[in-house]
Amino acid sequence: MSRMQTVKLLAALAVALTLGGCMKWDYDEPEQFGARGAGLFITNEGNFQYGNATLSYYDPTTNTVENEVFYRANGMKLGDVAHSMTIRGNVGWLVVNNSHVVFAIDTDTFREIGRIEGFPSPRYIHFISDTKAYVTQLWSNLIYIVNPATFSITGTIEVPGMAEANGSTEQMVSYGKYLFVNCWSYQNRLLKIDTETDSVVEQLTLGLQPSALAMDCNQKLWTVTDGGYEDSPQGTESPSLYRIDPERFAVEKQFRFRKGDKPSELQLNAAGDTLYWISRHIWRMPVESQRLPVRPFLPERKTKYYGLTIDPWTSEVYVADAIDYRQPGLIYRYTPQGELITSFYVGITPGSFAWKPRQQ
Amino acid sequence: MFRRILYNLLLPLCVLLAAHSFASAQGLRARQLGEVTALGGRPMKEIGVQKTTFDSLALKENVALSMADVLAYNSSVFVKNHGRATLSTVAFRGTSPSHTQVTWNGMRINSPMLGMTDFSTIPAFFIDNAALLHGTSSVTETGGGLGGLVKLGTTSDVAPGINLQYVQGVGSYRTFDEFMRFSYGTDRWSLSTRAVYSYSPNDYTYTNHDKKENIYDDAHNIVGQYHPREKNRSGAYRDFHLLQEAYYTAPRAGRFGVNAWLTLSNRELPLLTTDYGTTLGFENRQRENTLRTVTSWDRRWRRTALALKTGYVHTWMAYDYRREVVAGNWADMTRSRSRVNTLFALGEGSWNPWKRWYFTANLSAHQHFVRSQDKNVIQAAGNREILGYDCSRMELSSALSAKWQPTEALGLSTVLRQEMFGNRTAPLIPALFADFKALETTNGPIPMALMLKGSVSRNHRFPTLNDLYFLPGGNPDLKNEEGFTYDLGSSLTAGSTLHGPWSINLSANWFSSRINNWIIWLPTTKGFFSPRNVKRVHAYGVELKGNLAWRPARHWMLDLNGSFSFTPSINRGDPASPADRSVGKQLPYVPRRSASLNGHLTWRRWGFMYKWAYYSERYTMTSNDHTLTGHLPPYYMSNIALDRTLTFRHLDLQLKLAINNLFNEDYLSILSRPMPGLNFELFLSLTPKFL
Repeated sequence: MSRMQTVKLLAALAVALTLGGCMKWDYDEPEQFGARGAGLFITNEGNFQYGNATLSYYDPTTNTVENEVFYRANGMKLGDVAHSMTIRGNVGWLVVNNSHVVFAIDTDTFREIGRIEGFPSPRYIHFISDTKAYVTQLWSNLIYIVNPATFSITGTIEVPGMAEANGSTEQMVSYGKYLFVNCWSYQNRLLKIDTETDSVVEQLTLGLQPSALAMDCNQKLWTVTDGGYEDSPQGTESPSLYRIDPERFAVEKQFRFRKGDKPSELQLNAAGDTLYWISRHIWRMPVESQRLPVRPFLPERKTKYYGLTIDPWTSEVYVADAIDYRQPGLIYRYTPQGELITSFYVGITPGSFAWKPRQQ
Repeated sequence: MFRRILYNLLLPLCVLLAAHSFASAQGLRARQLGEVTALGGRPMKEIGVQKTTFDSLALKENVALSMADVLAYNSSVFVKNHGRATLSTVAFRGTSPSHTQVTWNGMRINSPMLGMTDFSTIPAFFIDNAALLHGTSSVTETGGGLGGLVKLGTTSDVAPGINLQYVQGVGSYRTFDEFMRFSYGTDRWSLSTRAVYSYSPNDYTYTNHDKKENIYDDAHNIVGQYHPREKNRSGAYRDFHLLQEAYYTAPRAGRFGVNAWLTLSNRELPLLTTDYGTTLGFENRQRENTLRTVTSWDRRWRRTALALKTGYVHTWMAYDYRREVVAGNWADMTRSRSRVNTLFALGEGSWNPWKRWYFTANLSAHQHFVRSQDKNVIQAAGNREILGYDCSRMELSSALSAKWQPTEALGLSTVLRQEMFGNRTAPLIPALFADFKALETTNGPIPMALMLKGSVSRNHRFPTLNDLYFLPGGNPDLKNEEGFTYDLGSSLTAGSTLHGPWSINLSANWFSSRINNWIIWLPTTKGFFSPRNVKRVHAYGVELKGNLAWRPARHWMLDLNGSFSFTPSINRGDPASPADRSVGKQLPYVPRRSASLNGHLTWRRWGFMYKWAYYSERYTMTSNDHTLTGHLPPYYMSNIALDRTLTFRHLDLQLKLAINNLFNEDYLSILSRPMPGLNFELFLSLTPKFL
């Protein structure tokens, strides 16, 4: 081969190599936010094992929404399956289930101020004091005790009689020095924990899979079961709504749903006298009611209602529609009378909400 | 109904046997000829077929390659990669991985539970013949290939006498790859034993752009942050494959063969980039033991060929995802076990009664016995319950085809396929193919041929066993996916390296495919996923391929192969609700454009290879929102390899250095799954010469 041919060949190779190029990533510098006043955080679960959970922030006064605020404020992802958020003071505590982490963020700037790592599968965080909080877990029979001031795990509470392989502890409600915890996945019980001794002092057996917990204006505890699912090894049954006397730790009233109904996301209005939940449609019922409602408050309209919250000051109703679970979900905002005020898109699978108080 | 199905299934075999009897009656059975080929030098059985064939150089480039690597760099199919040596699936033309059918020596090897195939567990050194049949063309071999078919096989051809080859590879991340092949060939016997062993902790380092490490002051205030350099955690793998083959050719009775392929795989599954858990007290591991066996007999007469195959597949798979909650106390988040036993039988034949006619028929049966167990659920009473299913399914598929060449230039072909899976049937699948030789010059200075091709077919895919029965979520009411596909294409061949310094092959193909009742798993309000028929999808586009072989001077040879695909894959279904913005949008994780290029330059005993692959931006949401988490940027990947062969009296020795991710790109194939940067592997190949 002549020298010229060799040069041509090598030139062709060099051109081919330049096809390599460089990839452009959009990991931008963190943005500055200043979200003063009241607002609503929406945790968007994303898709399991894809690490695409996001956080949205909605200002009801200006009717504006900012999406991916954790990512934009911190220049990093929120993680895999953002399950819940709890606000204490001006700090938001984000529980990211399959990232095994709880992030603490400033509720005005959305910037991280700390994180707690080392959980097997965290679900909710509940504050006992400024220096003590509980973090419930899925696939574990332990509730983790953390010190939020030092961002550290300080201990655990073992649930008696619960196998770790299908253990589950979920939402928490305080009542004096006691804490009530519902146990959902493959479970059928409610726990009563003494927060001074950090131990389970009593358990109440309910129907299959109690999924939510709320305390009404009469200091009555409410929980709703989903009844399990067809062919479950635990069996399946009609779901129920329970009213529980926290003093006696006993069921006062049980409202049975039809078999096949799937109630979840139990919420209360601002006055604490009306219950709301999702069971395909959006339902509501006064806490004094003696029977379940027969007509839905907000009928489904090909919607996939996935999350629900009630404005704790105005009782406006916010409903999350997951649509197909693979695109940004839509939040509908309704008046307490059920009239649509507005709607806005957030992130994939919006599942839970946290209200930032009006007064900081 | 059943009678009609039976009729449709058995008819092809009856026709085949009748054809064989006819041929035998004509006294045509004495001579063993080569494959029946078409007029004008093109095989009649490939009339109108869109096919990509991989050469041995691509398959045997280095021992560390899996079929996922080969397909990524030598075709424009989309290889979705969860990381190095982790799940790699292949999708054609904007369809899903379960729309890609895969056969090995004629036996379908898609998982009956999942429908897809993990190409990272198929060592390329175990494959002698590989081809892609695009879209409609897959109907000629099997049903269910809404995207296409990947046809893999081994060959009985071995060099005469005793042959031995040993390859040792040592690479980055303490990777060791070993390959050994022993073969023995005579006029009648062909024996081959191949083994591959691969091991690596696979703990490559990457910059984690999804996380930041905090720098704290004494009061635990964050005073700085940075993206950490992290190791790929929980990514180790240890795979062993053994392939034993034996063929015997009897002068008057055809060829008998047996192939047995054993896979023992033990792989960790890497943590997500967004995982803040530790690997201490953590296990995310997949184990697979699979034995695939095929016995075969085939015989050719002057105008007839017959083949019979039987097979057995046993797969045991275990997946464990667990964490140590406290010392010595593990919580199983997932503990699944599955056992699949499959019996396989195939009868096929061809008949070439007249010069311009060619008929084929085949009937295949796969009987699956599946036991799938998921998490052990411990009841409050202490007894243990298993979540899972135990079922069997017979999958029958039969086809008849007739091919006709009314003129030298024109070829027409039709295929009728009927399938029955369990108690489900699908309507008859018709497929029509045509090709036309528009130009052929053999006498000019540059030999040239231009071929035009077209095809149309109906197709469908049955739900997998997990789609139907998985607990929780399986949906026995699912409908079959079904669709129509149209193909139009042309190919141009010019030059010849036998008679000149160069040859070139170019092909362009347009396709359009509409798939209804697309099955997709969606979360339910119960907290688990369940499959539903939700979408109509229109996948269309063009596929371009090119090959240039150039001999610029004595001892020099350049071989360039390139491909490009433009594959919009659009959701044309009805919106799930007024809020649904997915209609009219590209399906998530399907690149609209993909391309590959590889060049191999040889000079005397030196060889240099350059491989390049490109995937355009992929959306991660059905609505194609271009948010930070809503898309993955395009990526370009470049690999090179340099080899030198040394020949001694009793030994051939080859040294090869492969460099992967030449430009040390940070890239992701899917969200939150890190990929390795620049890495190396050195190979030493020894081939003794036995006299």
